[in-house]
Amino acid sequence: MTRTSRILQHIVLLVFALYALMPIYLVLLASVRSESDLFSGPLSLPWPIDFSNFRRVWFESGFSRFIVNSLMISVGSTLLVVLTAPLAGFAFAKLKFRGKEAVFALFLAGLVVPAPSVIVALYGDLQALGLLNTRIGVILPQAALLLPFSIFMMRTVMEDVPDELLEAAVIDGATLFETYVKVVLPVVRPGLLSLALIAFLFSWQEYLLPLVVIQDEALKPLTVGAATLQGRYGVDYGGIAAAGIIAFAPIVALFLVLQRSFTRGLTAGAVK
Amino acid sequence: MYSSRQAWLFVLPALLLYGAFVAVPILQVAAYSMFSWDNGSIKAFGGLSNYSRLVSDNVFWTALGHNAIWAVLTLCFPLLIGLILASILAERSPRLVKVMSAVYFLPRTIPLVVAGIIWGWIYNPVFGLLNYLLDMAGLGSWGGAWLAEPGSALISLNAAGAWTFYGFCILIYLSAIQSIDPSLYEAASLDGASWGQRFRFITVPLLKSTTLFLGLYSAIEAMRFFDLVWVTTQGGPGYDTEVLTTHIYKTFFLVGDFGYAAALSVVLLVIVLLVGGLSYRILRQP
Repeated sequence: MTRTSRILQHIVLLVFALYALMPIYLVLLASVRSESDLFSGPLSLPWPIDFSNFRRVWFESGFSRFIVNSLMISVGSTLLVVLTAPLAGFAFAKLKFRGKEAVFALFLAGLVVPAPSVIVALYGDLQALGLLNTRIGVILPQAALLLPFSIFMMRTVMEDVPDELLEAAVIDGATLFETYVKVVLPVVRPGLLSLALIAFLFSWQEYLLPLVVIQDEALKPLTVGAATLQGRYGVDYGGIAAAGIIAFAPIVALFLVLQRSFTRGLTAGAVK
Repeated sequence: MYSSRQAWLFVLPALLLYGAFVAVPILQVAAYSMFSWDNGSIKAFGGLSNYSRLVSDNVFWTALGHNAIWAVLTLCFPLLIGLILASILAERSPRLVKVMSAVYFLPRTIPLVVAGIIWGWIYNPVFGLLNYLLDMAGLGSWGGAWLAEPGSALISLNAAGAWTFYGFCILIYLSAIQSIDPSLYEAASLDGASWGQRFRFITVPLLKSTTLFLGLYSAIEAMRFFDLVWVTTQGGPGYDTEVLTTHIYKTFFLVGDFGYAAALSVVLLVIVLLVGGLSYRILRQP
């Protein structure tokens, strides 16, 4: 490759890295900018560095509660997904039973279902079940909407489990469920981690479901909290920036630490 | 060995959850769309009358058009960028690949709501970064109220959407490129093929099915997205960024017309299921 084209390629890589990082950098700056420093340009380094935005948002705007709600909702949906999707994925990959193709097609169709299209009925259903304005009312449909993708991914993962392993367990007299718990689950542990991470990521990011289901300020997750803050104090840029950071920092940190598992999960299913 | 019943027990928990909160609500929506509603309760059977309203609902057609434009823009921008960046990256050291793909993917980890808020600022006419940068470059006259003007609102929003999506395209393309036989590239290089030629004659043709997958995926996403519009423009100015999902949301929660909101939902479902079914058929072909 010629020198010029190599340099050109590096410039392209760099430009798009800037495109990715600039907005994040912008929010970081805005979150520690003091009010007196507000109009010195979006890219000027803030001085003095001021953490009062974080304090205000955390203690006065309820973000210490929102983050707990986000955690509870995301952990709840992730648990439900991790408990149910691998079971089904295993059955679709390794077991023979009547109606298998039909049920799998039903789940497959769910891959494309948009949350806004079920909300019209879901809202009334949750009301009838007494789940409106509760965290569990977000957790259940959230997990259900994540299931098609999760089952699809788990089926791919389970297909790689060697049949000999299953046969050996059966010969040893293990029941199907014992085989699943003692033989299959330990083998697919990396896949389970990927599944859990992705389910957690998507639940953490969800906005429409909690927006519709939860009215009580004390139960809102971070996404709804941040959007409300923007609407209410349209001029508190420092506060909104701090809120945004509180909303994405945990998930960004998780991604950076466990990048490999994330990537494996996202590209599973897609590339096969 | 096991019985069919035992196997069913493995599927049952997922099926119950999915049935109760996805499958049954879809059937309900289909049923609701056949009635006229008053104040949240069924008034009368209306047959297909909610659907015949679609024909004269200009907002619906405008929204549908925006969904289509969004899909086309996504195909032109994030997919193409993803393909080019992935094929540049593929020839670099694994270390650089790991760092750069993390950088490009980072925006996808940020909740779309927060992404919307951030880009709302970037486009702000008074203190936004975009106008500021244009000013610095001496192009101040190009500046504008990006999200408040009919001509630029949808495209500006799409650039924000692309920000969260092209990293995903890079990841998918990268893992597909890495499965291409390296000897193809080596042979081409020995024959004196330039980077551009290798890209055009090896990478692009061999990644056809990946491109197809990403194209269909983004077409479906273009029909489904909601958060980004809702926190920035709520479909405005006027109806210039209205999409199907925001039209449904408004019809349901703000107007309270359950029957028509249900009909709109069914239309959305039919479209995504058609695209989805088509994807499945095409991608399953050997």
